[in-house]
Amino acid sequence: MRKVHFLTLAALLALVVSGAGAAFARQTTSLVLMGWSSSPEENNALNRQVEAFMEAYPDIEVEVNLVPDYDTTIQAAFASGDPPDVFYVDSSKLPDWAEAGVLDVGTEKIEDPDGFYQSLVEVFTYNGEFYCPPKDFSTMTLQYNKDMFDAAGLDYPTADWTWDDLRAAAEALTGTNDQGQTVLGLVTPPNFERWLPFLYQAGGSVLNEDWTEVTLDSDEAREALEFYVGLVRDGFAGPPSAVDAGWGGEAFGEGRVAMAMEGNWVITFLLNGYPDLNWGVTELPAHPSGGEATMAFTVCYGVAADSDNQDAAWTLANYLTSEEGARMVAEEGFGVMPPRVALADAWLAARGEEFKPFIDVAEVAHKWQFPVGFGDVIDTFNAGLQLAFEGQALPEDVIFETAAAAEEVLSR
Amino acid sequence: MATAAPAVRRQVTTMSAKRRQEALAGLSFMVPALIIFLIFLIIPIGAAVYISFTDWNGISPVFEEGAYNYIGTANYSDLLRGYHVDGDRVVAASIRQRDFFIALKNTFYYVIGVVPVQTTLALLLAVIVNQRWLKAKGFFRTAFYFPSITSSVVISLIFMFMFTRGGLVNQALASVVPGYGSGNYVNWLDDPRGVLHLIFGQFGLTRESAGAWAGQRVLGLTGWEWISGPSVTLLTIMMLNIWTTIGTMMVIFLAALQDIPGHVYEAAEIDGANAFQIFRRITVPLLRPTIFFVVTLGLIGTFQVFDQVYVISSGGPAKTTLTVAYMVYQNGFDRSAMGLASATAIVLFVIIFVFTILQRVVVRERAAV
Amino acid sequence: MATAIQSQGVVTAARRRSVGRLALATLGWTVLIAFALIEILPFAFTVANSFKCLPAVQSYPRALIPVPPFGVSCVSEEGAPLPARAVSTPTTFNPTLQGYEEIFDAKLPRWFANTTFFAVVITVLRLVFDSMAGYALARIRFPGNRLLFYSILGTMMVPPVVLLIPRFIILKHLAMLNTYQGLIVPLAVDAFGIFLMKQFFESVPGEIEEAAMVDGASRFTMFLRVVLPMATPALTALAIFSFQGTWNDFLMPLIILSGKSDLWTLPLGLSFLRGAYGETLRWHAFLAGSVLTTLPLALIFFYFQRYFVEGISYSGLKG
Repeated sequence: MRKVHFLTLAALLALVVSGAGAAFARQTTSLVLMGWSSSPEENNALNRQVEAFMEAYPDIEVEVNLVPDYDTTIQAAFASGDPPDVFYVDSSKLPDWAEAGVLDVGTEKIEDPDGFYQSLVEVFTYNGEFYCPPKDFSTMTLQYNKDMFDAAGLDYPTADWTWDDLRAAAEALTGTNDQGQTVLGLVTPPNFERWLPFLYQAGGSVLNEDWTEVTLDSDEAREALEFYVGLVRDGFAGPPSAVDAGWGGEAFGEGRVAMAMEGNWVITFLLNGYPDLNWGVTELPAHPSGGEATMAFTVCYGVAADSDNQDAAWTLANYLTSEEGARMVAEEGFGVMPPRVALADAWLAARGEEFKPFIDVAEVAHKWQFPVGFGDVIDTFNAGLQLAFEGQALPEDVIFETAAAAEEVLSR
Repeated sequence: MATAAPAVRRQVTTMSAKRRQEALAGLSFMVPALIIFLIFLIIPIGAAVYISFTDWNGISPVFEEGAYNYIGTANYSDLLRGYHVDGDRVVAASIRQRDFFIALKNTFYYVIGVVPVQTTLALLLAVIVNQRWLKAKGFFRTAFYFPSITSSVVISLIFMFMFTRGGLVNQALASVVPGYGSGNYVNWLDDPRGVLHLIFGQFGLTRESAGAWAGQRVLGLTGWEWISGPSVTLLTIMMLNIWTTIGTMMVIFLAALQDIPGHVYEAAEIDGANAFQIFRRITVPLLRPTIFFVVTLGLIGTFQVFDQVYVISSGGPAKTTLTVAYMVYQNGFDRSAMGLASATAIVLFVIIFVFTILQRVVVRERAAV
Repeated sequence: MATAIQSQGVVTAARRRSVGRLALATLGWTVLIAFALIEILPFAFTVANSFKCLPAVQSYPRALIPVPPFGVSCVSEEGAPLPARAVSTPTTFNPTLQGYEEIFDAKLPRWFANTTFFAVVITVLRLVFDSMAGYALARIRFPGNRLLFYSILGTMMVPPVVLLIPRFIILKHLAMLNTYQGLIVPLAVDAFGIFLMKQFFESVPGEIEEAAMVDGASRFTMFLRVVLPMATPALTALAIFSFQGTWNDFLMPLIILSGKSDLWTLPLGLSFLRGAYGETLRWHAFLAGSVLTTLPLALIFFYFQRYFVEGISYSGLKG
């Protein structure tokens, strides 16, 4: 009896296991391209790009593999020594992946590097090597609600605005709406990357050029943080949760703030989710002394150090970021912008001239990238900033603690 | 005598043969489970233990030369002491130590708050939906089980929408509680203030008035920080956890209640026991193994709370929802420190194990009384 | 006289008891209905929002009452998305099927079939393997019994995130990545189920087995013929938990199956639809997917919970 049952079980298991199909050999080179999923339209555009590539290079076959929870998936693939040939690299991940040795160096292999925005080339240059060609990028700008400015009798923000203009407008626009809800002049997410533009505008920095010293503990940093926190303490601005929103774009779309500082991702969000919102875009305000700066968030196509088909992989990465390849995406006019200067017009034609400020600030954009393990520092800052918003910490103490955390991380 | 001896001997052999047969039967019942556990759990756990003694970043191909270095107990030292010694250099790790004890503090408050409440509520609900007089049992059982079947991501998103500052929860509270209005709404999802601090504040006890011990640093945190209680946001996540798990625990109790023979209740009713006495004197003692089971599950689940923190708060505001399991994820997948993440996981494992054993001893002693 | 007082006392006691019962019943009902509302309301919002146009989800998530016209289109004649106000008010909304259409454009039916297959196979395997192991741990004395139990319990206490990469590497070496068996085999046994069954078998009196043992039945026969039939409530609970756990599992399918979208389960598919950045989330489609993911589980639970009828106990001593 027992035997019979174990046999049935064994048979059942065997049945299940025998489902394995052997991979059949191809004559052509086959590549795997791994990335995360975006909107259905963007996913389709990538597929079209890849189809065009395979037509141009019939001996290379590409399998596009867009996965949920990309970071976890690709880290497991790296660790097991079996990574995809070409994959997305977020600028913030570049130091980790370059240090881990999983990226092939592209300095000699990336074609036409001069056609890219130089700020993007800088982002993907680590320890003097240009690792991977940028795929697309977003910048942070100032979005404003035209109806609210009209109602308050204020002129729309311009590229000439300084901190003082921002503060004055935020004060004037703060009030309540017809449902009795608070409306703030500006939404100020309690995040490091939202504050960094103010630091750079004031002429400050976090680390020195080659990331060996902490430069954050400075008067510029204190000035920038006092300004940012001051807006909140004076009641003209607040984090998204203060106006019942999950993030800045939502607060802005719901009409609970008059201005927001978001990146390109806000474009489709607002156009699809709030089609009747009357809004405009301009550059972030400058420091009263004239200092301009913003942040760039960007992604590149990395090639695996462990890839068996590196030549083919570089052919693919170069094609996707070439003028020809990237044009196919630029002309779709998604939220994100093409990496090459020459394609700016194609993007603007498809997306609309009113979004030009996103492109205009590309050359003053700083990279969103720090040394390995810097998450500890960013968390320290964010936690301090939240307390400062509540009035439970002083900006100067937050700067001091963050700088100390940065010292510790650099000394590891 | 001469005849008796062989008989005894034969009996002994059959006894030991029987025992051997039993052992064989026992093991053969366990074989499928053991094989699968060995390959997919024991080996990975062994790997995690090994990794915890290295500086592996979790990214470099692990079988390649130079992917990691053996660094002894440095990761554990970072977590527990806030530094490690590398040759003749002392490397500071005060952020790691502080984060670890913040996470441990948050996790403890979480466990202490959630486990008793979810166990009690689940048991109560199970007893109620097991009553003979109850109509529409199927509806109620399904209703109570609903949050358990919805995926945790969806449920967390819905929960966030209900708990935003202008959300349903505050509006409902405002309509019931006098003096509670949009001016003083609690910002459930973004409020770092500790609940115990708030309560102490009501009695005039603040950090300033508390005395010198409040500023004393113990294990990276000041005395005042240790007694913060869960932050308002962590409390919100605790409510979410209770709300989603009572369904599951109710089902476990429900299954166990089926094993209490009806005549036991009837005998008690004839003796004139009321509902509460029956519950206290009959139901609870008979459910003791199940209570051990549910509390153990609760401990394991709450000590490892991760999903909700990941979706709702990512550890914020001001690190008040940073939990040990979230710290493991953060270091392993975000900070290129898989060695540290593994060490954190092992420490958490030891803590959970100790608490499970303690709990088992307590439940058993109670049973003996 | 004495008897009259006595009987009066009995009557008042009885009346008091019935009043007490009534109060208890009222309290019980209030608690039950309040809880049911708290537990169900969020799902009601999920359902309502899954039938809205995207702008309406974002601006009026609280609208719960569907009003005609039904089946509206979410775009104007020129193809521009309609603003929230056009299809919703703060309390009412015009239902649309757009979210459901979008999710069917994705590979939803395929994901649905995969998830069902995984959940059924894994549940069946667990019912067999978990109850065998749980029975052995509870009932059979063999060396290392307790050690095994604590080891199995211990495996639940290690945060699963640190086991992801080692498991991935093992599966890769077994050539099981991106295959059906790659997900099924590692999940065919689980510590929780073994623990559940062990606790259950421990609470079952041993006399019945002893009687069967005397009749010369082997352990396995006895397990099949005598023990398992008594375990219906526990097996039902285990079936529900296994099915639901597998159905909603995310981490394991993620690392094992993410390379091949034909093998994905519903949670993977939904997570894929969420996109890399929450900002591009198509809420209505995502919620439609959530409703379709949750409903089958609710139906299955509703069906199986009948096995928790009071008094179906093995001993047949129903009152």
